[in-house]
Amino acid sequence: MSEATKTGAPASATSASAPADSELVVQLRSALSRANELTQVLEANLREAESERQQGGDGQADERALELERRLATAESDVKELASRLVDSEHQAGRLMNLYVATYQLHATLDPAEVQETIAEIAINLLGAARFVLLLKRDEGGDLEIALNQGIYGEPEPPFTGDSYRGGDAMVDATLADGVLRLGPNVDSPALAAVPLRVQNDIVGALVVLKLLDHKPILRSEDRDLLDLLSAHAAIALFAARLFATKDRKLRTLESLVKLARGE
Amino acid sequence: MQPRKVLVVDDSKLMHKMYEVMLRQFPLVYALDGREALDRLREHGDVELVLLDINMPNMNGLEFLAAMKADGAIAHTPVIVISTEGKEEDTARGLEAGASAYIKKPFHREEILDVISRLEKGTAA
Repeated sequence: MSEATKTGAPASATSASAPADSELVVQLRSALSRANELTQVLEANLREAESERQQGGDGQADERALELERRLATAESDVKELASRLVDSEHQAGRLMNLYVATYQLHATLDPAEVQETIAEIAINLLGAARFVLLLKRDEGGDLEIALNQGIYGEPEPPFTGDSYRGGDAMVDATLADGVLRLGPNVDSPALAAVPLRVQNDIVGALVVLKLLDHKPILRSEDRDLLDLLSAHAAIALFAARLFATKDRKLRTLESLVKLARGE
Repeated sequence: MQPRKVLVVDDSKLMHKMYEVMLRQFPLVYALDGREALDRLREHGDVELVLLDINMPNMNGLEFLAAMKADGAIAHTPVIVISTEGKEEDTARGLEAGASAYIKKPFHREEILDVISRLEKGTAA
């Protein structure tokens, strides 16, 4: 069983970092482009010096050629370094964009159905999950409600069928018990990921990824960030939305009673 | 030359937000399904690129492509399909229906920018 560390809150500076990172990418692209231009100039100079040397130039031409070769080697090394940093930065920018958008959208509504829809959209569009279930603890009773049960290539199989999950998958049960995000599959579980959903220190459910899209063979390191984010934010967003819906319903009932009492 | 305006057709609000963040350099208009997308295309004559999901309610991406290609006024607008449907036959179906390129979700920003760049140069497939 591959077991990951306990999840924590995602980077709070995500929203601010995404545009800044994009600017860094633009700057790196520009630097890379300049470095390429410099390399071309140096290569042209080198060819020129070589030509001079072949035409019987003196020792000065040799020295110039050597100097240009050194500068060319330095420039080429800089280009490689910048290219590598550009790839890293673009990767980082993409990762931060995913996290920013997921966080933004999770907290963009106070409608419980829309929050659940957003969790599903993150699982499908950003993680590439083809089959997954969302388990949530009921207010009463010890079992868990299967709040979402989605499958692009067919429906989930037992024990993730029906309205309730009563245990049966060892990895998911362990995650629900200790709140540790686990990645599979393993001998005890076919699940690819069991993501605990937290509200403060309570584990109120889990997102269980059972299959990925055919063209996405494995969960990558950037997916781990998204899973951590879901662990920290999905339940809070859902909890806030449900609380708001309950309060709203009670408020409407009270307003109706007041109107009735006033004879309106 | 970069597209003046891009139409995003996807039933996911999460994806609308994602495109907004990823493609800040382009003015975007949005539609939640194919039917709405046809209306947007007719309203916004300056749309020069469509980013199209396949699985949508009311009118899916392939139906939208067929309707769009049958309308002479908007038939020429290039379309990039961006979908979770990732099998070879899905890609072939999208391209046969008239899409200029096909990207599989989840995707990276560079993939879209690369395809847009290749569309500008006329080398996208």
